[in-house]
Amino acid sequence: MNKFKLFSLNWWILHILALTFFVFLGHAIHF
Amino acid sequence: MTIRTYVKSTLLLALIAVSLGGLMLHLRIHPVSKNTSNFLPLLSGILSVIIVPLLFSSKKTISYGYVLNGFQVIVGTIAMAHFSVMNWPLPSSLESIVIKTTLPDIMVLWTKFFIGKALFDLELFGYDSGRHKVGLSYRYPNTGWWLVHFTAVSTVYVLSNWLWR
Repeated sequence: MNKFKLFSLNWWILHILALTFFVFLGHAIHF
Repeated sequence: MTIRTYVKSTLLLALIAVSLGGLMLHLRIHPVSKNTSNFLPLLSGILSVIIVPLLFSSKKTISYGYVLNGFQVIVGTIAMAHFSVMNWPLPSSLESIVIKTTLPDIMVLWTKFFIGKALFDLELFGYDSGRHKVGLSYRYPNTGWWLVHFTAVSTVYVLSNWLWR
């Protein structure tokens, strides 16, 4: 997982994508 | 066959079996034909049964399998807990919380996490029985790292569910 070293460019890209995904997931799911 | 291959195959079979069980349960509880949002657990189930074991089976891709497996468990836990909170059994008692919420389902889901963890740790740290576990607990790939991510994902999910409707 050296590609995703803490605060590297890849780390930031991955976290922004993940954040976007979970924001949309929370928005989309209503029971 | 080496003991390494044997244990790895056993754990992979356990992972496939528990994932297949989850997929079949989801198909029974809420078929995709009834609601298109049921597509998400279906997709997750297919990923669990086919893609995750494939990623786990190669040393090159095991980290991706480990992360994908863990995040599927986190998302499943949050979504099922959300469902139970919105369909809380009344009157509440210890019995109704244990039996009538998705707590049992969440417990079963976590076996998937720990099977994945065992697969990953055995592959990464080897099969040396005398080896000590070292490293900071909150750094990847240790359990504390998962706790940090579980808390972070839960917070993001809850906030966007409340604030963006």
